[in-house]
Amino acid sequence: MHIVVLVKQVPDLNTLKIDHATGKPVFSGQKATSSFDEYAVEEALRLKEKAGGEVTIVSAGPPTVKEVITRALAMGVDKAVQVTLPDPNALDTLAVAQVLTGELQKLSPDVVLAGQTSDDEQTGQVGPQVAELLGWPHVSAVTEIEADGEALKIQRDTEDGKQIVSVAPPVVLLALTGQNTPRLPSIKGMMAAKRKPVEQVEATVPKTKSRISWSEPKSPERSATGTIVQDVPPAEAAKQLVGWLKENKLL
Amino acid sequence: MAEGNGVLIVAEAAGSDLRPVSLELITAGRQLADALGGGVTAVIGGMAIEDAAQRLAAAGADKVLVADGDAFADVTAGVWTALVTQAIERTQPAAVLIPGTTAGRDYAPRVAARLGVGLAADCVELAVEDGAVVAVRPVLGGRVQTAVKLAGNTPQMATVRAGSFERATGSDGNGSVELIDVSLSDDDTRVKVLELVQEAAAGQSLEGADRIVSGGRGLKEPDQFKLVEDLAAALGAAVGASRAVVDAGWRPHSEQVGQTGQTVSPRLYVAVGISGAVQHLVGMQSSDYIVAINRDPDAPIFKIASFGIVGDLFEVVPAVIDEVKVARA
Repeated sequence: MHIVVLVKQVPDLNTLKIDHATGKPVFSGQKATSSFDEYAVEEALRLKEKAGGEVTIVSAGPPTVKEVITRALAMGVDKAVQVTLPDPNALDTLAVAQVLTGELQKLSPDVVLAGQTSDDEQTGQVGPQVAELLGWPHVSAVTEIEADGEALKIQRDTEDGKQIVSVAPPVVLLALTGQNTPRLPSIKGMMAAKRKPVEQVEATVPKTKSRISWSEPKSPERSATGTIVQDVPPAEAAKQLVGWLKENKLL
Repeated sequence: MAEGNGVLIVAEAAGSDLRPVSLELITAGRQLADALGGGVTAVIGGMAIEDAAQRLAAAGADKVLVADGDAFADVTAGVWTALVTQAIERTQPAAVLIPGTTAGRDYAPRVAARLGVGLAADCVELAVEDGAVVAVRPVLGGRVQTAVKLAGNTPQMATVRAGSFERATGSDGNGSVELIDVSLSDDDTRVKVLELVQEAAAGQSLEGADRIVSGGRGLKEPDQFKLVEDLAAALGAAVGASRAVVDAGWRPHSEQVGQTGQTVSPRLYVAVGISGAVQHLVGMQSSDYIVAINRDPDAPIFKIASFGIVGDLFEVVPAVIDEVKVARA
């Protein structure tokens, strides 16, 4: 089975600060693998361990995506395609999906895995749009994948509970963060990663005009000025809270 | 531009009833239709959903398109992409609103790709400027928001986060209800739903709950979650959970509040032992009143709390339960 994982590099949200004067985000410059994609890599490696085959990572973006590729190779991914996009932030999700679909058609995988959404833009659109452009089905919110003969049996989380679905490859699967902790790259893995093949591709960016435009992000205004009770015995704090609940007709 | 053709909203059934977000979309749809021209058409798919369809008409949809039958018993991205695309072709709307549910987030991007149009994801506010839909949506873990402007192509599409609009409360609307046929290909039906394992059906559902008590890592052990359940019972609230405790397997995903769980905006939200990671805040920050109980005075949850208690939750929560019981007696 050939599994391709799509991975995005994002700003490290743990080091993101908000400038309270302007409400604008201040990036540290540190970058990370989008958390959902890290789970997608783990799911891909587990599926390979169960069903055999090969795992390829594809990452598109500025030259720094090399870092997320190296990390995935060190986790155990076999090979990589690094797609350089001149100005990734100017592209809408459908344009990014078109670029990735072009690469996937060359790789002809059985299963494409990606994260449910990205930590930065949070649209969750690229995965389903890649599936649409490939003409394949997709399954989102995936928490477990099991090979079941020719088909895959997939567990997913929905508002109504855990759903089990069945689908035969080729298919796009979108991983949720869940109970499978992504493995950490080992020293041995990191050494091995250096020898694994990384194909470099210059992306041909679709000529269509962006279908959406977006403003600079800003923090939403909040008017809440809360009462904070500190260094008060629990019984007293509880009394104050219940008094406040009554005052606001919440009891 | 398909001016005058109004707005198409996709409603979701829950069994034979409606998901509350469907009624929220009627409000949002009406707001856009007033600016763009035309009326609000709702489309809904499911099995034996006549009552749900009538309710949409009564609540204010001018027209309701219904796809009823076995093929729509389970919501899959393939079938719903076909359903929604065909409803768009039929009504030629200026804008399409889709619920930001697991299902809606699934088929909306496919529909947009099939039609080659833009899609604004997970919007919390909508407006119209010079005929273009402008949507406010959270990015970067919900700590900041961006305004997205849809341009050029019709229809303009957006998914809308649950709890962002008031529910339409009308009951005397007389919109028309029309059954539609949807043609499905083999490619649309390749994903088969085998079963649904419902969890924790005993408790009150988070969706549409008026009060919610949620617990997080601060409870230390799964057994201690009983404190949250007891406080919820005392307040008559539904039980929620943070992503950390759901990921750890303490609680089912159906209770998860936040970016990858549910977005809630109850009148009262009580966060117990939840520090307030961004992915949690984004799911509950529009609650009317937020109460936080946490040991760490620097926990981000206190920044958005209307009432916060800094203290040991194992002492504070039992004391609050006692006080609530006294107050309610």
